[in-house]
Amino acid sequence: MELLTRLMELQEHHGAVTDEMLRALSKERGVPLYRLEGLRSFYPVFRAQPGPKRQVKVCRDICCHMQGGAGFVERVRRAVGRDAGGRNPRVQIEAVSCIGRCDSAPAATVNDIPVHGTAQEIAAFASGAKPLPGNEPAAAPRRWPTDPYPAPAERYGALTRLLRGGDAATAERGRDQVIATLKAAGLRGMGGAGFPAGTKWEATRAAPGAVKSVVCNADESEPGTFKDRLILEDLPHLVIEAMIIGAWVVGAEQGVIYLRHEYGRERKAVERALAEARARGMLGKNLLGSGFSFDVRLFISPGSYIMGEETALLEALEDKRGEPRNKPPFPTTHGLNARPTLMNNVETFAAVPIILERGADWWAAQGLRGCKGLKFLAVSGDVGKPGVVCVPLGTSVQELLDLCDGVAGGKALYAFAPGGASSNFLPAAKRDVALDFAALQQAGSMLGSGAVIYVAAGRDLVELGANVVRFFRNESCGKCVPCRVGSEKAVEMIEEALRGQPRPGLIPLLQELGSTMTQTSICGLGQVALQPILSVIANFPADAAGRLGPSRVKTGAPARKQTATKHAARKRMAKGQPAKKQIAKRRAAATHAPRRAAAKQPARPMAKARRVAGSRAASRGAAQRAKKTSRAARRTHAAPRAIRRARSRS
Amino acid sequence: MADAPRLITLTIDGKRVTVPQGTTIWEAARRAGIEIPVLCHNPRLRPVGVCRMCVVDVGERVLAAACVRQCAPDQKVVTRSAQVEGHRRMLTQLLLSDYPRESVRDRATGEDELLNLARGYRIRGTPFPDGTGQPTARGTDTSSPVIAVDHQACILCDRCIRACDELQNNDVIGRTSRGYGARIAFDLNAPMGESTCVSCGECMAVCPTGALTNKAWSGLGAGKA
Repeated sequence: MELLTRLMELQEHHGAVTDEMLRALSKERGVPLYRLEGLRSFYPVFRAQPGPKRQVKVCRDICCHMQGGAGFVERVRRAVGRDAGGRNPRVQIEAVSCIGRCDSAPAATVNDIPVHGTAQEIAAFASGAKPLPGNEPAAAPRRWPTDPYPAPAERYGALTRLLRGGDAATAERGRDQVIATLKAAGLRGMGGAGFPAGTKWEATRAAPGAVKSVVCNADESEPGTFKDRLILEDLPHLVIEAMIIGAWVVGAEQGVIYLRHEYGRERKAVERALAEARARGMLGKNLLGSGFSFDVRLFISPGSYIMGEETALLEALEDKRGEPRNKPPFPTTHGLNARPTLMNNVETFAAVPIILERGADWWAAQGLRGCKGLKFLAVSGDVGKPGVVCVPLGTSVQELLDLCDGVAGGKALYAFAPGGASSNFLPAAKRDVALDFAALQQAGSMLGSGAVIYVAAGRDLVELGANVVRFFRNESCGKCVPCRVGSEKAVEMIEEALRGQPRPGLIPLLQELGSTMTQTSICGLGQVALQPILSVIANFPADAAGRLGPSRVKTGAPARKQTATKHAARKRMAKGQPAKKQIAKRRAAATHAPRRAAAKQPARPMAKARRVAGSRAASRGAAQRAKKTSRAARRTHAAPRAIRRARSRS
Repeated sequence: MADAPRLITLTIDGKRVTVPQGTTIWEAARRAGIEIPVLCHNPRLRPVGVCRMCVVDVGERVLAAACVRQCAPDQKVVTRSAQVEGHRRMLTQLLLSDYPRESVRDRATGEDELLNLARGYRIRGTPFPDGTGQPTARGTDTSSPVIAVDHQACILCDRCIRACDELQNNDVIGRTSRGYGARIAFDLNAPMGESTCVSCGECMAVCPTGALTNKAWSGLGAGKA
């Protein structure tokens, strides 16, 4: 934490972390130069040379892309240039990944202050023609149904009762009770993976080793996801209280809130809440005379989506490049500094106090359709009123849409992604599905990060899928081959297709590549990177056929045969003929692999949940629809059917 | 006196194997005479599991990298199913799509591990866009008097980094940038010849491809400096 914090300070004060600064730092700390270069070049916040005074970062990802249209960043650039008469050396404009302002898309930041509007409006903020808006937390925080405390004075009630419980034996029973309550409540990880919280707390408590840590993952950054932002702004005390309770249960001594740097307003809210907690004796030594000591430190992330993956996050906290670790071991036993670490998402922590205050039964009763509890959802895309809502878990996609004033412009709903950019797109026909872990999985998608993106009729779904794949390519850390190379090649091939020149056999090739990436990537990012486009192929075959080419595989892999001639210069590699056996083997790989991905459910995906969902039912429904529509579509459902056949053999 | 390590028994490709607890699947397989292909791993180095060539089926949702995954009691490991081989083949093709047409190591010693793997899979080409000669191509570095660097032939296996920093403690090589743009770098991304490299040669000794080679082999830098 110390090294990256120091680099962040340098960047903030000097607008860059130059070679000279790194050489000085290398001597001062005895850290090799290559390590410092590795950090500076990995995290997007750092620059080697200072840039212009006005730094403008314009989001290029799906929600902003939907509202701003293609080429939005270019339009902002042109507008700024015109505004200042030609090129504007005072302003640097950069296209960046999702900044978590999908509810006010298209969004940008100017010197880290969030702004939004048309290209002209953003340009006006950028050039200084229009004063920047304030960036303070809401003066009067909104009330949310997961806050058990009607007045600020009553905060930390659950914690206070636990700490004042009495002797050691009573305290131990109290710890058992907390875990039992969380289990009974059915609280699951809300970062996306949905891992049962009580089980995680229990495992971390049981894990031997000191010093244990509690880490709050406040690095949500998947396109469409911004629910934690509101929780951090309005309910930071609940997060802090739950972290302290968690520490008391598992026996941790230190806590870290890992916050994405784009959340400046939320950072202030968290800092104030930490100060308040400290002033009330809830943080520090010997809390409320219980003998238990614990403190929380706020760590500002130097950026990038992958940091939300739990082990990448831990690497950053250890001053390394944010590259996910091979799991197992898991953070519960080998977390921060290889010690047991309790890590939960913001929303998961924030639910703990009310569950302890009102009981597991109360929490379970809040859900609908057999689901337990309440859920924060970030709603964006083609919707009348985008934003964050807190609803019963199990609310349907249509009910949520009604709650948010329906589809924007009164259009028909065409598709939706129920759990963030990495969740499979589903057709509007599935609008009655419950927003719940099991129901969405069954429908062929996932609850994921709790971000529902609605897509109206008339949208180019292939282009949206391509946008998301591009996002994953941009955010790949580069550690493992399938993700680093596979995501790049996929983007290149999809872009060829969008330019009207799909390579022959593109769809089966993407399916095969996607299967290899799912099966062999280290972390969830690589595992789901192609899912957005693959879900369009599976669930909207008519859309895909028009842009990506036919999905039928005639014999073996025609694409390979063609490119083989192109690469004839590499003949030395093999003298032998690609025998029929080889082709059969390839086909076996193409059909077996997806079956495996679909058949087995994830045991323990990454914290930010990028789960690969089998979409058997989805592709069947879609294939039926396609059958009715056109001849072109008829040709294209061959591949999903082939996969289905393969699956049904399992 | 340390306790004797606990022994565990598992099945690899139908063979029962007993190994001390903590042994990786790759190591256990090797002891049983089963070879699992690798590019990033080398028994002299700490395993990192980044090339994913050693993936095996342990009955989980996704495959596991044998070089880093420890054996578990009663585990059933399949190292060579059609499915596993299909994925290895795909990974090899991905790497080949960015690989230069000429490998100095292959020409000089025939020990280019990527090309040998490709030969084993009888891969004649790749279905993916050619990454050589693109704006994203990574270029060469001939600044060192001893070692030729062909960044385009680098598969980011991390072997040179571990050799330089962990075997030799020279602390010169690391990774710069990220994602598809990531590559190996010396000090603050200096040309190798201007870095603190002492030309010990460990990096080119462990390199599995044509990325780090002896200049004497290549003529890559000859007449160019």
